[in-house]
Amino acid sequence: MEMISDVYRGFRSLLKGMGVTIRHFFRKPVTVEYPRERAVVSKVQRNAIVLIEKDDIGSHNCIACLQCEKICPSNCISITGSRKDGLAFKRPDTFDLNFALCSECGLCLDVCPTDTLGYSKQYDKAGYSREDFFYDLLDQWKATEETALGTLREIERKKKEEREARRKADAEAKAKAKENDDGDEKA
Amino acid sequence: MARNFTEIFGSVWFAIPAAVTVIMGFLAINALMIVWMERKVAARMQRRMGPTERGVFGLLQTTYDMIKLMSKELITPRHVSRKLYLVAPVVLFTPIIAICSLFPLSENWVFHDYDIALVLVLAFSGMAVVGIFAAGWGSNNKYSLLGAVRSILQNIAYEVPLILSVLAVVIMARTMSLHEIVMEQSTIPYIVVQPLAAIIFFIAATAETNRAPFDIPEAESELVGGFHTEYSGMRFGLFFFAEYSSMIIVCALATVLFLGGWQGPILPGFVWFFIKVYFLIFLMMWFRWTFPRLRFDQLLRFAWLLLVPLALANLLVTAIIVKLI
Repeated sequence: MEMISDVYRGFRSLLKGMGVTIRHFFRKPVTVEYPRERAVVSKVQRNAIVLIEKDDIGSHNCIACLQCEKICPSNCISITGSRKDGLAFKRPDTFDLNFALCSECGLCLDVCPTDTLGYSKQYDKAGYSREDFFYDLLDQWKATEETALGTLREIERKKKEEREARRKADAEAKAKAKENDDGDEKA
Repeated sequence: MARNFTEIFGSVWFAIPAAVTVIMGFLAINALMIVWMERKVAARMQRRMGPTERGVFGLLQTTYDMIKLMSKELITPRHVSRKLYLVAPVVLFTPIIAICSLFPLSENWVFHDYDIALVLVLAFSGMAVVGIFAAGWGSNNKYSLLGAVRSILQNIAYEVPLILSVLAVVIMARTMSLHEIVMEQSTIPYIVVQPLAAIIFFIAATAETNRAPFDIPEAESELVGGFHTEYSGMRFGLFFFAEYSSMIIVCALATVLFLGGWQGPILPGFVWFFIKVYFLIFLMMWFRWTFPRLRFDQLLRFAWLLLVPLALANLLVTAIIVKLI
């Protein structure tokens, strides 16, 4: 009797297993045929850093504050920057990343005051030597740098005008208030 | 068909090589298809793609593999016992050709309809053990020998329930001619009347062909390649070929005995025959990618303590019922 129930249970479990495999048989394969198609990268995937485009500038908004360079635990970022004519902030002249050292900790993204650092979507970089992993982050922005500078100057000029206008308004308001005060005293 | 061959070639001595060539071609094409199918089925059950590069859906992949095997150097290791080593693949493969000539593919498509075709099929399939043993012993290698010993033990154990379940069919059909057994099933196939015998037959057949979950003779993780460890190139290819050919044979036999052979509505006979055979082959692949491998003692206990008594009881009941009716 026990044997019969054993056989029955064994047989049922076999059929169940076969059900599992046949279900998978009719599903779509999960394979991504890599060179022909590419996997969709997750939003939080960490990778080499890049300078992100800012909409109002049409380029990155790095101000060469060197905070990322200072906080990087692997010392893989090196930036030099200089002040440009008509700009309040500095602008980077070189922005080099030694990706071979980078541990993708993400601290540089956290400290960036203008939020212009982000992760690249390219996950399949490969190279034959260490030098292949020295990335120049400004490379992709070289072509648009002149126009970006123009836009930045324009923005800066507008800001200056606004400031002037506000100062003028403030001064007028102050003068008016003083006048009133004087009047009060006389009265 | 045998008569046709003799007529075309004038003499039986030309007809036999011609027939052998036809069967070899038939087996080769089918084996290539089945290997491709196996790889595709395996891949899909694991949510992979399988071969996709060569030909449509990778159909030509197995042909490329065969060409590669054929062009490889045949290495004979120095420590083998040469005669046994060389003769083993041939001994293994020859009976398969003989068996293939016995199946009725459709009503008129049969080389020769022997009265005792069933006995011939079983006898020839028993001969494969000799080839396996020659390979295992002749290779002079512990893995080969262990693989061969396991294979023979398993074949002996499972031949008993296999033949007992076949006997039940023979008792019902009152004939051993494959053609007549198929004709007997014109109303209902025997799987309906003999479900237990059909299940036992198929389990035993899976074990006879050394396929998973009964593939301990070549359990890769334990025995490297089993009895064909020492073979390379087309000699290995012949073992591989024989393995897949014997799959075709047991599935064809199951089709003839239990599924009504070529019989079926609308479509011509041989189409039905191949549909049924390929369905059974798919079932075997399905088994392979579902069930884990048995341990050896489990395997033997399963054969002797469960399958043999069940098959005997089934045979007894069948005999009594047939006698009473």
